[in-house]
Parts: sequence; C-alpha cells; structure tokens
Amino acid sequence: MNILAIDTSCDDTSAAVVKDNVVLSNVISSQTQLHKEWGGVVPIIAKRAHQERIDAVISKALQLGKVPLHAIDVIAITYGPGLAIALEVGVKKAKELAIQLHKPLIAVNHMEGHLYSTFAQTRGKKSIEPQFPLLSLLVSGNHTELVLMKEHGKFEILGATLDDAVGEAFDKVARLLGLGYPGGAVLAQYAKQGNPTAYPLTVPLQQRKDLDFSYSGIKAAMMRLVKHITKDGEKSLSRKEISDFAASFQKVAIQHLIERTKRALQMVEVKSLVVGGGVSANVVLRSELRKLCRSYKIPVYVPTKKELCMDNAAMIGVAAWYKAQRKDFVKDISRLERDPRASIDTQIIT
Amino acid sequence: MKILLLQSQPLEKVIAEAVSCLARGGLLIYPTETTYGIGVDATNQRAVNALLTYKKRREGKPLSIAVFDMNMAEKFVDLNQAARNIYASFLPGPVTVVSKGKHVVVTGVESENGSLGIRIPAYDLVLQIVKAFGKPITATSANASYKKRPYCLEDIMQFLSPRQKSLIDLVIDAGELPHNEPSTVIDTTLDDVEVLRQGKLTVSEKNIITSNTESETQELGKKLVLKYKNLLTYKALVFCLVGEMGAGKTQFCKGIANGLGIKDTVISPTFILSRNYPFEAEGKKTELIHIDTWRLFSSQEFLELGFSTMIDNCRVIVIEWADRVAETLKQYNDEAKLIWVKFSYGKKENDRIIECGDQLLEEKA
Repeated sequence: MNILAIDTSCDDTSAAVVKDNVVLSNVISSQTQLHKEWGGVVPIIAKRAHQERIDAVISKALQLGKVPLHAIDVIAITYGPGLAIALEVGVKKAKELAIQLHKPLIAVNHMEGHLYSTFAQTRGKKSIEPQFPLLSLLVSGNHTELVLMKEHGKFEILGATLDDAVGEAFDKVARLLGLGYPGGAVLAQYAKQGNPTAYPLTVPLQQRKDLDFSYSGIKAAMMRLVKHITKDGEKSLSRKEISDFAASFQKVAIQHLIERTKRALQMVEVKSLVVGGGVSANVVLRSELRKLCRSYKIPVYVPTKKELCMDNAAMIGVAAWYKAQRKDFVKDISRLERDPRASIDTQIIT
Repeated sequence: MKILLLQSQPLEKVIAEAVSCLARGGLLIYPTETTYGIGVDATNQRAVNALLTYKKRREGKPLSIAVFDMNMAEKFVDLNQAARNIYASFLPGPVTVVSKGKHVVVTGVESENGSLGIRIPAYDLVLQIVKAFGKPITATSANASYKKRPYCLEDIMQFLSPRQKSLIDLVIDAGELPHNEPSTVIDTTLDDVEVLRQGKLTVSEKNIITSNTESETQELGKKLVLKYKNLLTYKALVFCLVGEMGAGKTQFCKGIANGLGIKDTVISPTFILSRNYPFEAEGKKTELIHIDTWRLFSSQEFLELGFSTMIDNCRVIVIEWADRVAETLKQYNDEAKLIWVKFSYGKKENDRIIECGDQLLEEKA
C-alpha cells in the first residue's frame, strides 16, 4: 500500500511516501534535502510559509519515493495537536488530494506518529513489530508524555508535563548559555566536556507519586545560577563554565525523565519501551534508558534515523498504515477539521 | 572543466590553481571535512550568479561562505556573544554559524533578511586556499539542489546536465570522502532581536507585589483576570507579560486560566507559539489564547498568528515576552484592554517581584 503522508503541525512542512511501514521518502522543509544550506532553520511559522512550500514538498516526496501521484493508494494527514494556522494548511491540501484522486483519507494524531516513528522501516534496517502492552516516552520541543499502549489505537496518557516540555528546556537553557537557537543539540555537545556535578540542581517532583513532569523549576534555577556567575550579565561565561552548566543541566533533565519512566515501569507491566520525539536523539538519554530497561529485562526501541525523531511525515504514514489495516479511514472527508488541542488518548470520530 | 588529483599534485600547485580559478570568477569544486563543496568568490556578482545557475537555486535562498578565521568572519558579519562562544568551541569544524550580515558580499549570498552563514572548515586545504585568495568563497555543497549528498565526484557528475558541467572550471579530487553529515547550522541572530534590556523596563502605576511561591503568582493572575473580566463583553483582555526566563510568566497564566474556570493544565506555548483554551463567559463560548513570542523573529510573525482576529472576537490573550512586540501591542491600546505585568527575581530563591500597570515605560536612568 502506497501512502502519501503530510504533516504541517508546527514550523516544518513535511511530506513522505511510505509503502506499508517502509519509508520511501521523507521530505522535511528545514532539512538539507530541500535547501542545502540553512534557509529552513529560520523559524518561518506563518501560514503563508506552509502554503508556499507544501506543493513543492509533496512533489519532492513523490519524486524521491519514485511513486507517481496516481499510484498513491491512501492519503494520510496530521489533524493535531499543533498550531492551528499551520495544521489547517496541511488538512486542506490532504482533503483536496483525497477528493481529487478518489482515495481514502486517514487522519493521524501527531503524537501517535511520534510513537510509531520507531516502527518505521528504513533501508537496510530490520523492521520492529510492536509488542503489547508497551510504554512510550514521547519527548519533544512541545511534549513530554508517558503513554501506555495496550493495542493499536488504544492509548492512555500516564503522565505529562505540567509546564515546559523537555526539548523546550534544552533549547531555552542553551540560549541562556549563549549557544544560539535551536541549541539543544549544541548544549549536548558541550555537556560531553563538562562536569555534571559542578552546579547544584534538584531533580523535580521527586516527592510526587504520580508520573507528571516539570521543567520550569530547573530552568529558573539555571537562570539564577548563571546570573550569579556572570554577576548579572557583567561578565560572560567561560567555556568551562558553559560546559559545566550544560553537563549539570543535562544530567538533571535526563535524570527526571529516567525517574518518571522507572516509576511507570514499576506501576505497569509492559513488554517494551518505545521512545519518540526530538529529544530521543540525545545519546545520553538513550544510554540511560537502556540501562534502566536492562533491569526490567525489556527492550528499548528508538527511531533509527534523526529525521524520524523530529517532526516529519514518514511517521504519520507509518501510523496510517496500521490504521489502514483496521480500516480506520475518515468517513466524511469534507467534515474533517484540524484540532490544535488533540490528545493521543481521545481519537477523533469523523 | 579541469580535474586535479589532490594525491598526485604538489599542494602549492593545487592552491595556486584554485586561487587563479577563483580570481577569474570561476567555479571550484573542493573537498571539505563534510561533503564536496562548490566555491566562487563571494564578492564577485558574476561568479555568484553563475553559481546560482549551477545550483538551479530559487532566488532568495542564502548561501554560506567559508572564511579563514574569526577575524576574517568579522569583516562580513556582526558577531554577538552567542556567535563568539560557538566560534571558540566549534570552529574550525562542521558547523555553520548564522549571524547578521554586513552586506559586504554580493547579492544572493546573504539571506533575504540580511543574515549570513559562516563556515570555517576543519580542512586544511580549504583554509589555505581561502587564506591565499584573501576573500571568502561560497561554501555550498557541490551537488545540484535536491540531489544526493556529494561524497565523491561520481555523486555530483551523474546528476549534472551538460550545461551545468560546462559551468565548472576546476575540480580538486580527493577521492571518496568519509560520509560525514553536512555541517550543523546554528542561528545566532535570534539573540539580536531588538529587545529593550530587561531591568530597564517598568510599568506605570506602581502596583508592586512580592510573591514568595508559585501558587502566590498564580493567585495574582486569578485576581487580576477577575478584576477585568466584566470588560470581556465588549473588549479583548490582553495580559502583556514581561520578565526573564523562569520568572513565573506561565505560572501567572495558570492563575488566569483558573480564574476563567478552565480545567486544562496550562503548559508553555513556546514551541507551538500559541495555545487555545476554550471557556464560557456570560453564556458565550470564548477562548483564552496563550502566546509566546520567544521564538518569533518579528512583529510581522506575531501578527500572522491572527492577533487582530483575536482582538475582534473579545478573547483573553496572554502574551509572554510581550516587550518584544511592545510597539505593535501599543497600537491596540484603544481597541483592547492592555494590562502590562512585569516579573523579576527577588532576593530569595522563590521570591518574585511582580508589577502591574496600563503601560510599559522605559525606566529613567
């Protein structure tokens, strides 16, 4: 089954072609396939930007996937969550295509996409089949969630952030340390050279017996420490100080994820842990999660490529393939609407 | 097109030929620590035009340039502290640092908004060529746009038309390069956005409150929204929040949501830019809209989120980092009720000083 998938949930315009769960192409507007240098890094969030890019991104995905439009069997689209004015550009396009081609449309929740990104098969890699029940840790710039999945299409949110998402905290702290934007990945580079116990930071919510997350406290504590060291901005941070701050922050930020995931594993018995979202590319997080899961004797699955960690349409296509097998198509295409507040545990009825 | 095999030529000869090619305005394909790059004199309009023809690049997409060191970079871009940090730590290396351009390079090299990406490749040959040439060269990858990443000449040539091939003057062939990822791009221009310095701002009417806990900050948000809620029938309420990271802006918004009877957890809108929470006021369905301008580049981007429509529909709008769009907000002073709230850190760890007023003023020195 050839699926053309589209995602316009936030900054990036993305389109992908998947054949069942195999990714044939995955075009993301800010990535190198589209413009070779750095044009796309500028966060052009406007609705207009998506409108300008979407046709080119779709053609590119079809061309790279070597599948002509008439050979597409199903259209898949992210309906939410996300930024309303961005989502509606993709939804409108997907509806037009489905009607024009007389093909079924599948509406996919963006977070469901992140969860399924691990099950995307890429060239030369073995495909992984989900084993249920599974626990999923979804960590991105916009989300920090622990999701229990008992079977395809059945999700339960066990915990979520009360304030900032972990990816957002990485980017904000990076900018506080003067590492540009988006600096989360750069911060991780500095952390490698730093001393993770140089600055005292507390792991949040340790007294709370639930599975929620909080990152605003660490952020505020970092702010205070940096102000203190820089004498309120009078002097700049040395390279050693930046590295030590980065390492101290990363340690605590990841420790928080590990502690909550561990608590979840104590509460529910699962067959595997699945990680998705931009922060799942962080190597320290990956290795800590592996350590944790070894003691629970369950495997950890992470996306096989960086593109699959970030916001992308291939993951939407893969999630759609599983939905297609259950015949979960949009019944009345004209009535499908974007839902910026969509949650993974409340599936839409169309 | 002339091909020089790097292994079988004296280095001085390769550098001399490359420099002479660049000086003639020619196109040079060269190896780097990432992929093969294509270089022209970034200060020669004719050469840059030829490069754009080669790349079949739509106009407006910027190129980046390779320079020898940070001193040379400063002739072409303004370096702020963020940029300096990254230069010190990562360059030379596979990182492109974007800064505000000084408009020294020719048209088509800087982006439409005037920013410019700088590379200092960790590849001695390129550094020596740039040093000998004395001018920056473009550092774009050598493939035609949208084609395979070029790690060997074959990767490049198989996708080129005869016309494109005819544009290339010199190729330095170093064989197959290790398959390293293209350079990481770091944008430092966001730190240049004109923000009035924190701490120099104040609000009119000195209503100063010290909050000692997050829940006190929330309580204040709740009180304030209840005070103005009756205006909602004919005016939008805009809470313009100003204050550093971690100062309690999102906590304050949680309080506002609570005051409006919203049950959902209010979380940071930074990444998504804007989050909506529906509620009912006077039997009418309306929304609380929580906006964060932290990631925005301009007031234009802010307006494109649909701010005017929100005002027209009498929403409750909470804007974090509102000082970044202060001039735009002031234009809505009559149409909407603007409430400025400034947050700053107090003496103790959890102390926050919160000031509220009708206007945002610049504090007199």
